[in-house]
Amino acid sequence: MSTQSLDTSIYTVITEAIQIEAKRVLSEGQVSAIVGYAAARRKGSAQPIIITDAAGADKLIFTPACVNNLAVYLTKAKKEIPRTGKVGIVVKGCDLKALIGLMGESQLKREDLHLIGIPCAGVLASTVQPATELTAESIASKCCECDAHLPTGCDYLPNVALPPGPQLENRYGVEIARLEALTPAGRWAYWKEQFAKCIKCYACRQVCPFCFCEQCLCDRNKPQMVDTTPRPAGNTAWHIVRAMHLAGRCAGCAECERVCPMDIPLNLLNRKMAIELKELFGYEAGFEVNDKGPLTTFTEKDDQSFIK
Amino acid sequence: MLKYISRQNLNALMDKFIAAGIRVVAPRMNAGIPLYEPLKNSNEMVVDQLPRRSAKEAFFPVCEEIMSYEKEGQQVKLTDVDAARFPETVLVGVRPCDAAAIPVLDAVFSWDYKDEFFLERRRKTTIIGLACTTADDACFCTAVGLSPAETRGSDLFLAPLDGGGYACESYSAKGEALIAANGDLFSEPNNSKPLPLAAPQADKIDLKKVKSWLDEHFEDPLWDGIAVRCVGCGACAFVCPACHCFDIVDEGTEKAGKRRKSWDACGFWKFTHHASGYNPRDLQPKRYRNRIMHKFKYYDDKFGQTLCTGCGRCVRICPVGIDIAAIIEEISKKEIS
Amino acid sequence: MCDTTNTNIYLPYLTTVTEVIDETPDVRTLRLVFQDEQVRDSFSFRAGQFGEYSAFGAGEATFCIASSPTRTGYIECSFRSVGRVTEELRRLEVGDSMGFRGAYGNSYPIEEFYGKNLVFVAGGIALPPLRTLIWNCLDLRNKFGDITIVYGARTEADLVYKRELLEWQERGDVRLVKTVDPGGNGPEWDGKVGFVPTILEETAPSAENTIALVCGPPIMIKFTLPVLEKLGFSDEQVYTTLENRMKCGLGKCGRCNVGNVYVCKDGPVFTAKQIKAMPMEF
Repeated sequence: MSTQSLDTSIYTVITEAIQIEAKRVLSEGQVSAIVGYAAARRKGSAQPIIITDAAGADKLIFTPACVNNLAVYLTKAKKEIPRTGKVGIVVKGCDLKALIGLMGESQLKREDLHLIGIPCAGVLASTVQPATELTAESIASKCCECDAHLPTGCDYLPNVALPPGPQLENRYGVEIARLEALTPAGRWAYWKEQFAKCIKCYACRQVCPFCFCEQCLCDRNKPQMVDTTPRPAGNTAWHIVRAMHLAGRCAGCAECERVCPMDIPLNLLNRKMAIELKELFGYEAGFEVNDKGPLTTFTEKDDQSFIK
Repeated sequence: MLKYISRQNLNALMDKFIAAGIRVVAPRMNAGIPLYEPLKNSNEMVVDQLPRRSAKEAFFPVCEEIMSYEKEGQQVKLTDVDAARFPETVLVGVRPCDAAAIPVLDAVFSWDYKDEFFLERRRKTTIIGLACTTADDACFCTAVGLSPAETRGSDLFLAPLDGGGYACESYSAKGEALIAANGDLFSEPNNSKPLPLAAPQADKIDLKKVKSWLDEHFEDPLWDGIAVRCVGCGACAFVCPACHCFDIVDEGTEKAGKRRKSWDACGFWKFTHHASGYNPRDLQPKRYRNRIMHKFKYYDDKFGQTLCTGCGRCVRICPVGIDIAAIIEEISKKEIS
Repeated sequence: MCDTTNTNIYLPYLTTVTEVIDETPDVRTLRLVFQDEQVRDSFSFRAGQFGEYSAFGAGEATFCIASSPTRTGYIECSFRSVGRVTEELRRLEVGDSMGFRGAYGNSYPIEEFYGKNLVFVAGGIALPPLRTLIWNCLDLRNKFGDITIVYGARTEADLVYKRELLEWQERGDVRLVKTVDPGGNGPEWDGKVGFVPTILEETAPSAENTIALVCGPPIMIKFTLPVLEKLGFSDEQVYTTLENRMKCGLGKCGRCNVGNVYVCKDGPVFTAKQIKAMPMEF
């Protein structure tokens, strides 16, 4: 089992660079706040932070523990964040894809944001302690197939070259292939077992930048679409409904999977949807704003083979 | 009275209970996650990891039926749940932070109205606690006046010994009865030294001081500062040994169905939302404030206890790294006017 | 509260709907009789207490017991349909079965009101939590001094218990001052026109040896309490009821607290003094 370390010396350079940039834009009044990461109490850990004055810029860091997708704090679901002017936000490539998606859905305007991009070699998996060294084993699964190490189109990107990293096994690809090789009954048994673990904490929904509905469909009771209690049938319905509502929108940040207290491999559902969307509609989440989402528009050439 | 029990005999004890139809709940691996779950045999028990969820669900399940209804024309028939069906249970390998929370929960579940779903299970369960020899930097039981060897809540308490086996002491009539009924598996203490206990890096916090500050600071910028990052999920409440809020819903059709209660959390937007659309806790800082207030002030006001045992699960699980130990430490350092 | 061997605190009593009264286009009163004879004979409650009413399949809703404890054999509830459960309750007809859990909460300390004058101030659909006490007091009329009721709603149609308003008007031992908001009066309206707090000030009941009981939407309470203060009422002379989102109704589910006060256990009846000590969380 490979435990090759990844070269994380660039993180110190990036941290300094974003602190300087943050101080600059805040003191010049270009932004009213910056959403970034700061160190937390536990060794090696990081947490989201909102800073509103230049003095706070020293708190910003970037390390392999900076796992959060901060885009969630700019959605209308989070009414607490003051949006009195332009807002700066620290974004990894995966986070930027989510922001781009939100722009395509008219939730954000590019001119309201000051994007501070991060050249990122990867972040830690949720299954390891925050102080763990970043290796090919401890790295998050989503990083193994990342094509967004260098976010483009940002207002600021630290001038750092990413060192070459070790070859990483495409874990999601391997697992999806394994599931696709099963019979439908075999897949159903697998997912039944996974969904039975769900305790309906809704952490998956609450961290997702695309779950920005002010009242989730499943939180309504007229009608009650999906049972709220954590029981197998309702859990299955919940996760399938969410995967379908995200199809064609999900940016693959895998936050849902990271935060699940029961380690349900939620991102497999989203990756599978993404593969389908690519095949059927040529759609892929990326750095270009697309205001015609694949499932919100149609053309006559659309595949209809599923209509039997 | 101090006794000794070898690991082998502890296993034999658990297998004896299982064979007799008594439910044995202990930490076991479930798809890579340690959880307190019923065992099929004693080999399943794992003692080296803190279960992801707490032991409260042995008394307060994630979801349970509280009655069922059937309609026939204008008549309705209600069927109660038979409390007699809650099985005789022995909880084994319960961490001190989990065991200590159970008597704390007794207070609310017996407040005037006796919740027999909880209390009947309590009566039928014997708790065997286990001291901790490891801790991580999320553990803070010592900060809230507990410790890795806290015996509160345990009927019987096991301390791991150098060379294997456990020193075993009973702290209740149930504990004594268990030893007496299974005397052949327990022996007199040998000369083994206890293994060194875990040492959580959490200094004791003056909870009275924290409460004094909370008494006067319902409105304070602290709440905005912390809660601005809270995304409003229920993970912290669900993994917590002491959180006990729940929802009651009817599930079924108009003709027949079940009424169930299931875990709920004050972090959810919906928790206090009125049907009229009004919500007294409409923003996350107000919801998060309720969490801290309930744990470190209201439960003390009502029952003289703190609703936190320092297990650190909420710290580990929080999607956005909110650290309750850091919060109460910060509060304890504030000036009390 | 009544004799029962049942140990499941979440199991409701079954009741039968014996009367359905439309108070206003959107407010309905249901009269309920317990199906179990023993429960029917032994059930008792105090004015101010509430219950959890079941529409099986939809869930439970929280309302005060709107009838007086002095009138046994039935209980009443009055509600407006705002959500799933209350909409389901509106579909019930005479003869249908409904669930009831209760009586929960504290109550008006009616014995402390003996020998005093009473002023009831209510607005709109908030009359039910006072109506239970009004009838309780009227049924024990000689225990109390002057009784004044100031009640108003947006429009004439929005007044609840219209039949009883007439009864109170016609009785010689109660002073009823009814009002509607400006513009809410029809051509034959014989009451006042003006917001409840204004009309209360006009009515100017004496605070001497008097208890004031207020129930209404938050905006009405906000403007009524200062009027009472102006009239000389101390915070301990003024009572009101709070409502909050509830589920269990008996202090366990952790939902209805305002600060460290559980509305279902420490309330729903509070003095103005207690209200003012509460954090702004309701």
